[in-house]
Amino acid sequence: MPALPEGAGDSDEVLMERFCQGDAPAFDALFQRYARPIQGYLTRLTGSPATAEDLAQLTFLSMVRARGRFQDGARVRPWLYAIATNAARDHARRHRRPEDLTPEGELPLTAVADTPQPRDAGLERAVHRALEQLPEGQRLPILMHRFEGMGFAEIAEALGLTESAVKVRAHRGYVRLRELLAPLHQETAE
Amino acid sequence: MTPECERVMDCLEGPLPPDLASHAAGCEDCRALLEGFHALAAPTAGRAPPTIASPLHESAPFNEAAPLRDASLIREAKLEETRRKSLTELAAAPLPTPWWRDALVLLVTYLAVGAVGLVLVGRHGMLLNSAPPPVVAAVALLIVAGVGGGALLGVAPGRKRWPLGLVALGAVGVALAQLTGRSGVQVRPLLTGALGCMGTEVVLSVVPLALALVLLCRSAYQPVRALAAGLSSAGVGLLVLHVHCPDGAAGHLMLGHLLPWVALAGVAVFIRSRLPSRTFAP
Repeated sequence: MPALPEGAGDSDEVLMERFCQGDAPAFDALFQRYARPIQGYLTRLTGSPATAEDLAQLTFLSMVRARGRFQDGARVRPWLYAIATNAARDHARRHRRPEDLTPEGELPLTAVADTPQPRDAGLERAVHRALEQLPEGQRLPILMHRFEGMGFAEIAEALGLTESAVKVRAHRGYVRLRELLAPLHQETAE
Repeated sequence: MTPECERVMDCLEGPLPPDLASHAAGCEDCRALLEGFHALAAPTAGRAPPTIASPLHESAPFNEAAPLRDASLIREAKLEETRRKSLTELAAAPLPTPWWRDALVLLVTYLAVGAVGLVLVGRHGMLLNSAPPPVVAAVALLIVAGVGGGALLGVAPGRKRWPLGLVALGAVGVALAQLTGRSGVQVRPLLTGALGCMGTEVVLSVVPLALALVLLCRSAYQPVRALAAGLSSAGVGLLVLHVHCPDGAAGHLMLGHLLPWVALAGVAVFIRSRLPSRTFAP
């Protein structure tokens, strides 16, 4: 990929406007800005780096094909994350089969297995597992807030919810995570 | 959540201002929230997502780094492939198709199918509904509003998701309006008349339904959208039957007009759920 595409310093919305008029360098700049974060988000969401790569591709192809659906005044980042989330949902809907689950009936956590095991791999695995135990309505706001650094207003835009609803869901999710991770952190402290 | 709790949520990323810190210290909800937030921070903060190549990988010993470098190259190649494919699509169609053009095409198709349908089924009289004309017109207008609204709901990009209950309520409203505005006249035996109207409604819905499904695939699958578009496209046949059908008995209306309308909407949701999406845009 080119190191610094034209328009790399422009805001997302300026780039989007140019991209909507067919400007390839503007798309390039947006791609450079968001390709890795989107892929990281999808990896956390699906638990599979290979799936995340495919879904990231679908996300950017969707961005090109559906740019006529981008509304004036909307923000680019929530729109892009909404597309990525929809792609992941669609993938889960179409590909989830009983044989894909672990013997405990859980989704396999391949994201951790694909990487060199860090010293705190157990902790990381536990965090992944705890996140997996949250319902989607709580997990998505937490992933976007804690790992993607998105504000609640942006998350609300991405998920098509009100900001208050997102805050309530994130709050419940964090409280539940505290319960799920408490034993682990006690062990670590000892 | 109190307003202070909401402010604590807004300030999670950094240190809390003194007034919020004192609130959080005394609020069980906020303490639980902060502990949950920080529980995620310890093992994962500052780490790159697993799939993205990081400098840490580059500095690993040679025997460990080689497969990682290969994996990293593969991922870079995939990103480059994504970029190339996207740019190719962009070059093929530099100007986007605005969403309202899809909506317009759908509405014009509804209009054309409705007009042709009315001409074909109304060879021996177009407006045979014997209810009072203002009632017939009012119910027809309600159906037209429902058809237009459903088409827009199905095709337009929306920041907020429409609740299923609202769409269902709209459909129930149209159904009740048709039943309360009935003429009460029974012209044919129930089954014969109902089968004839069912067939007409299904035939009139084929083209609108097919087009609606094609357009629905240009955005992410949402059952509510598919339901709205299904009710809308089958509504064309419902409208034609409403003005044309001389049979105004409640049983006939329910079995011959409303049942196929709802069933066709269900079919639209079922088919859409199995069709691949061309894009995943909201």
